[in-house]
Amino acid sequence: MSRPNPSPKAKRGATSVRSVRYSTSPLLASRTPPWRSKFLVALVGASFCVLLGRAAYVQIVGSAFFLKQGEIRYGRTLDLPASRGRILDRSGLILASSVPAPSIWAIPKDLEGDKAQRAQLARLLGMTPAELAGRLDDNPNFVWLRRQIEEPVAKEVLALGIKGIHQVREYKRKYPEGEAAAHVVGFTNVEDRGQEGIELAFQKDLAGRDGARRVIKDRLGRVVEDVGDSVAPIDGRDIELAVDSKVQFFAYQRIRDAVAEHKAKAGSVVVLDAQTGEVLALSNFPSYAPSERKNLSGAQLRNRALTDTFEPGSTMKPFIAGWAMESGRVTPNTIIQTSPGRMTLTGSTITDSHPHGDLTVSQVIQKSSNVGAVRMAMTFQPREMWELYSAVGFGQKPQLGFPGAVTGRLRPYKTWRPIEQATMSYGYGLSASLFQIAHAYTVFAHDGELIPVTMTKNPGVAPGTPVSGVRVLSPQTAQAVREMLHLATSAGGTAPKAQVMGYTVGGKSGTAYKQEGKGYAQKKYRAWFVGMAPIKNPRIIVAVMVDEPSAGKYYGGDVAAPVFSQVVQQTLRMMNVQPDLDVKPQIVAREIPAEVESF
Amino acid sequence: MSRFNVLLLLVLLGCSVYLVRVSYDARRLFTELDRARSEERLLDSEHERLKAEKQAQATPLRVEKTARDKLAMRTATPAVTQYVMFARGASAAEGRTP
Repeated sequence: MSRPNPSPKAKRGATSVRSVRYSTSPLLASRTPPWRSKFLVALVGASFCVLLGRAAYVQIVGSAFFLKQGEIRYGRTLDLPASRGRILDRSGLILASSVPAPSIWAIPKDLEGDKAQRAQLARLLGMTPAELAGRLDDNPNFVWLRRQIEEPVAKEVLALGIKGIHQVREYKRKYPEGEAAAHVVGFTNVEDRGQEGIELAFQKDLAGRDGARRVIKDRLGRVVEDVGDSVAPIDGRDIELAVDSKVQFFAYQRIRDAVAEHKAKAGSVVVLDAQTGEVLALSNFPSYAPSERKNLSGAQLRNRALTDTFEPGSTMKPFIAGWAMESGRVTPNTIIQTSPGRMTLTGSTITDSHPHGDLTVSQVIQKSSNVGAVRMAMTFQPREMWELYSAVGFGQKPQLGFPGAVTGRLRPYKTWRPIEQATMSYGYGLSASLFQIAHAYTVFAHDGELIPVTMTKNPGVAPGTPVSGVRVLSPQTAQAVREMLHLATSAGGTAPKAQVMGYTVGGKSGTAYKQEGKGYAQKKYRAWFVGMAPIKNPRIIVAVMVDEPSAGKYYGGDVAAPVFSQVVQQTLRMMNVQPDLDVKPQIVAREIPAEVESF
Repeated sequence: MSRFNVLLLLVLLGCSVYLVRVSYDARRLFTELDRARSEERLLDSEHERLKAEKQAQATPLRVEKTARDKLAMRTATPAVTQYVMFARGASAAEGRTP
């Protein structure tokens, strides 16, 4: 079938429509009513008015609202964390410092990644795949997977590229000196707040203040502009301690060895600078690694030198002798009758380990005679003795600003019975910490003044500048007592093992049954030694305590005095103190005739 | 007059384009600055970490162990120490000499 041609009629019709010219169009001839165009103009005008009104509203009336809404959509507040201050020792070595330790968190509902990836993630985080799955089931929106991991591990986790795993930058404390300085430095919790030691005592200074910054971020998350004021973070202050990390380490090492050697339960060492009152070392064993705090026991955490109180025993006798001399009752050579080695007071008997006969005051201290001390003390009024003990810091909290420092016990003198006054003269019936005893001995070492002790280095005072304290005894009396303490460490004294090669030392040993419940435990002892060196012009005071030595030896002179000797030796050497005793030198410098040089 | 207006219009257009360019640059530079700052913080903390690490490698414990085990050294005592003293007169005389 062929296609029909268009009919000539239709062709003509089309031609006629096209032939009508636009200007002659009949449509143009008909007049439109004028209101139409006016209406349109008004309509467009009104629309513009609406737009203008809206613009005015947005720009002027509601501008605050719109600005706020805009900012919510692209503004971000960034936290600027302040970094925690460091803890330094007296020579600027780091004892505690914050290092970055990223924490890994996840949004479990967004989490992707196949089984192998998850297994690898679990391995990196130190969990089994089952543990990881359990953790992810906790909350669909947010879970911490592992907090504060090492940075290389965090990078590996990130490299896995699992969607839904994120990390946040956190800081963790690092303690380079580890367990040797643990009790001084303390530690922080996961939120970076101090929990123990200096970390707790100086929490405010160390923490600093976080800052904040308001910024505009673009589509790609880049910061393009700062908005408003930003608050700069204030970093925590560095705390400089008076502790010398070498002395601290050495003291720790010695007490650790002594505890092992004597099969003891625990031990402590305190080293004080006798001229400035600075704490050079404060060590306890058992200790702990502050950064690894799993399975910690209370015994490890205890800062025994400050928190454990015990009856100071024989270490109190020098105070009695000192006061008896100060008040003019005796001189170092006054004879005191101690035979037959025991005396009875209101029905109770006080005994010496063996009868000594007539002793001078010096010998009473040297031989550590209880009877001799009681004879001197019974000439004191109770109030006088109480004032002496309080003046040297017994029954008072050490002004140290260190958490956990205890007060000890010194009962008011009005309640003392005569027998109690007698036993207190040789250190029973009151209690004190090792630190308090060491502090009290500054009276002898610092020419009769009790000097304030400090854990921190005083920035206003040049290092090594002697400080002044509260006078308790005259310099002459203090010197006389030092001589007696020296005798106690010489042949015929209770602690010859305290002697140090090259230096004169003086000190007093103490041994006591441990208190258990209301009475004393049999075969449980505590041994200690407090002394100073060099005795003419003491530079350091060292106090050593060993708790429950049970390898046969238990006297302070046998157990604690050797530790004292070693610590003194090392500390004085590190402080560059010249020996005041002649030492047979092992350095041999022979005079060899030189060959004549030809020229 | 109209030519002058056209000129002004062109200047205005030029200025506008320049403004867009400058504000773009400002943002780009700000982003770079911000990135550099955060890198500085990162490096700072890394430095701190390395310092602590360095010290952890040089604790008295480790130094002593190494000195004792590897170098067969022992702790000095006064018996093996030679003490050198500055005589008071000598140091004063030293001070006088040019």
